[in-house]
Amino acid sequence: MHEPVKDSSNLFAMDQAAAVSVSKPPKPGARASMNADERDALEHRIRCQCGCTLDVYTCRTTDFSCQVSPAMHRDVMALVDGGYPAQEILDAFVGTYGERALMAPKREGFNMVGYLLPSLALAGGGTLLLFMIRRWGARAAMRPVPVAAATTNATNEEMQRLADAVRRDA
Amino acid sequence: MILIGELSLWVALLMATWCATVSFTGARTGRHDLMASGERALHATTFMIVLASIGLWTALLTHDFSLEYVASNTSANMPRIYVFTAFWGGQAGSMLFWALILSVYSSIAVATTRTKSPTLVPWATGTLATVLVFFIATTCFKANPYTRLDFLPVDGRGMNPQLQNPGMAIHPPNLYLGYVATTIPFAFAIAALATRRLDSEWLGIVRRWSLISWFFLTVGITLGMWWAYVELGWGGYWAWDPVENASFLPWLTGTAFLHSIMVQEKRGMLRKWNVVLVVMTFLLAIFGTFLTRSGLIESVHSFARSPVGSWFATFFFLATGITIYLVATRLRDLEARAELESMVSREAAFLYNNLVLVGIAFSVLWGTLFPIISEWVRGTKITVGPPFFNTVNIPLGLLLLALTGVGPLIAWRKASTSNLKRQFANPVIAGLSAGMLLFALGMRDGYALVAYILCAFVAGTIVQEFVKGTRARRSMHGESLPVALMRLVARNRRRYGGYIVHAGIVILFAAFAGLAFKTEHDVTLGSGQAYQVSDPYGHRWRFVSQGVSKYETLNREVTAVTLETWRDGQMVGLITSEKRQHFDTQKRPQFEPSTEVGIRSSAKLDTYVVLAGVRGEEAELRITFNPLVVWVWIGGALMAFGGLVVMWPQAERRRAQGGYVSVLEPATTVAP
Repeated sequence: MHEPVKDSSNLFAMDQAAAVSVSKPPKPGARASMNADERDALEHRIRCQCGCTLDVYTCRTTDFSCQVSPAMHRDVMALVDGGYPAQEILDAFVGTYGERALMAPKREGFNMVGYLLPSLALAGGGTLLLFMIRRWGARAAMRPVPVAAATTNATNEEMQRLADAVRRDA
Repeated sequence: MILIGELSLWVALLMATWCATVSFTGARTGRHDLMASGERALHATTFMIVLASIGLWTALLTHDFSLEYVASNTSANMPRIYVFTAFWGGQAGSMLFWALILSVYSSIAVATTRTKSPTLVPWATGTLATVLVFFIATTCFKANPYTRLDFLPVDGRGMNPQLQNPGMAIHPPNLYLGYVATTIPFAFAIAALATRRLDSEWLGIVRRWSLISWFFLTVGITLGMWWAYVELGWGGYWAWDPVENASFLPWLTGTAFLHSIMVQEKRGMLRKWNVVLVVMTFLLAIFGTFLTRSGLIESVHSFARSPVGSWFATFFFLATGITIYLVATRLRDLEARAELESMVSREAAFLYNNLVLVGIAFSVLWGTLFPIISEWVRGTKITVGPPFFNTVNIPLGLLLLALTGVGPLIAWRKASTSNLKRQFANPVIAGLSAGMLLFALGMRDGYALVAYILCAFVAGTIVQEFVKGTRARRSMHGESLPVALMRLVARNRRRYGGYIVHAGIVILFAAFAGLAFKTEHDVTLGSGQAYQVSDPYGHRWRFVSQGVSKYETLNREVTAVTLETWRDGQMVGLITSEKRQHFDTQKRPQFEPSTEVGIRSSAKLDTYVVLAGVRGEEAELRITFNPLVVWVWIGGALMAFGGLVVMWPQAERRRAQGGYVSVLEPATTVAP
């Protein structure tokens, strides 16, 4: 499996040697398994391996300094013409490059942690927040009914110290 | 000058080390001579780093290719502006640039607060100097822009063509200004924790610098989106790239802080949480920098694997450990002075807003890190791209948009039913009306529809606030409409500046939702051939190729195709997209060819043409209709303008007149 390597200290360095052929023999009596739009949609799900983080379709139609995405596009075309459906083409790319060939991880196994954790964390945070708000609300409700503030010669700091002392005693 | 610059860098390291040592010692022992020495050493460090920076700029502008950095990032025939911007275009230069901004910020922060906060300043100075020591040491030992080659190249390698864009001159500096500004609130938070002076003294300083950071991050991120859109030709402005995510993270937590600080100012609540947010914002800026400089993650515009990664990791973990210790040992000092009374109140709304903002930050961080975690756990590399981030973040973004409308209108402490009805009746009607209208017009995309309903709702709340405030001023002071509106904003800058930021957010979301209707078309056109297609609004477009032309200009060879563009039978102009091959002074090609996008912008949509390839006389093109993109830049600019309004200094007398910053009394008062 080819590991992409950046070759300079500059920004935007690409690994132009990252393309590895993904090929399978055509199915007997093969006809193209999808139309151009479906093929483009499929290419949106496959990641270009030059190090750009874009999908094959976007990369190849964007910046032809990349030689990897056109090579990967040719592989997709050959597999489509060979009669392979989308899932089998994706599997072929995963077989060659590993799971990093997909723009999003498969929804299975450990990857589910990746998908679910943000929602679980947010739900946990929300629950904790509601619990705290209710607790604060209950405490506030137990306090004496506000009355008009008395005039006093005490400074704010003295008042704060008094409030702290009362809280400690409570 | 170059030699002076090189020496200055090392002297700056010694100065910063001295500054950190004497400032902390002075703060601990109460020795004023040491504290004063620390302050002077900080300014001296700044001066030395300015000299080091001038030295590097001199080397770049005089094409001193004996320096590896100059030879690696510039060439003799590069336009001068990009030679200048090469200062921050590479790893080593950007480290020095970071140190330059940090030292200038530190000097300003210390000079402007030394008399107001004499207790905090020595600790803050020590903390700032420690961060400076880290950056200068990393620059000196791991990424030194003054490293010399053992031979003298005839010419340099030049700069990547995609960096030779006006965006390069303005986007990275703004982002750095934003990132680095997070250090000042962090330093004062550490000072407040160390001295246990966790009252309003540190909060004022922290708020000001957090706003500065937020402002520059907003400008930097927006400019980055614009640059990606016009230069990279992805057809979009945001790709959830790890480097984009790294800039987004501190923006999210910084935004959360700017909301929750209001609760602390008004009610004395959320004191622990605010310290955590300030620290988290700084640590995320450092962590993002670590991610993009360590080579740990792949990104289109991250730096290559470099030795600075391990230094950043060490610094990050040390800073995290020290902060956790300080917060844990000062929990009693951070007790709230009031308690939340209702789930339906402005305090609660700000808490929900914080939950969502931090939730988005977590999901972005998690998505960015998950490939690494997966590799550790399973030994398998995976990609977490836009499909993942969009799935998780679009609903959260919409929730945040809704809260943008709710938060400012709901009453403090406890909102009554009548308050809710009075404040929200009109905005809700506006939102529902917009939804029904768009549905009737045929909009069926669920997320886009919800986004526009919420945009109309939030816009309703903002308009309502401006109308109410202006009316009140007109009736009280008899002012004309423009004068009343201007004075309303001028006298309540925090409040109405905030509304302007919210208006920018509404515009941004409306523009984001427009992307749901983006269409792309791949075509191959020979000279004189035409392509006809309808845009998402149903207008009929016709593109006629004027043929492929090739010419040489400045430091590049250009292959261009121009399309004569017609809409609904009327010619609207020419759109040109180019392929550029840059070369050096010896006419040797540099880098791979790059693409210049052709864009025709209007309020409704952008027609976006990318020359994807040339076969003989035929041009392979991708034509994209991107609805509402121009509103992304307008929204971003409005947000930045709102930030400026909020930041603009306000005289105490006027602030009092504004009536916004008055602190609410605690819920209970002591009975006589």
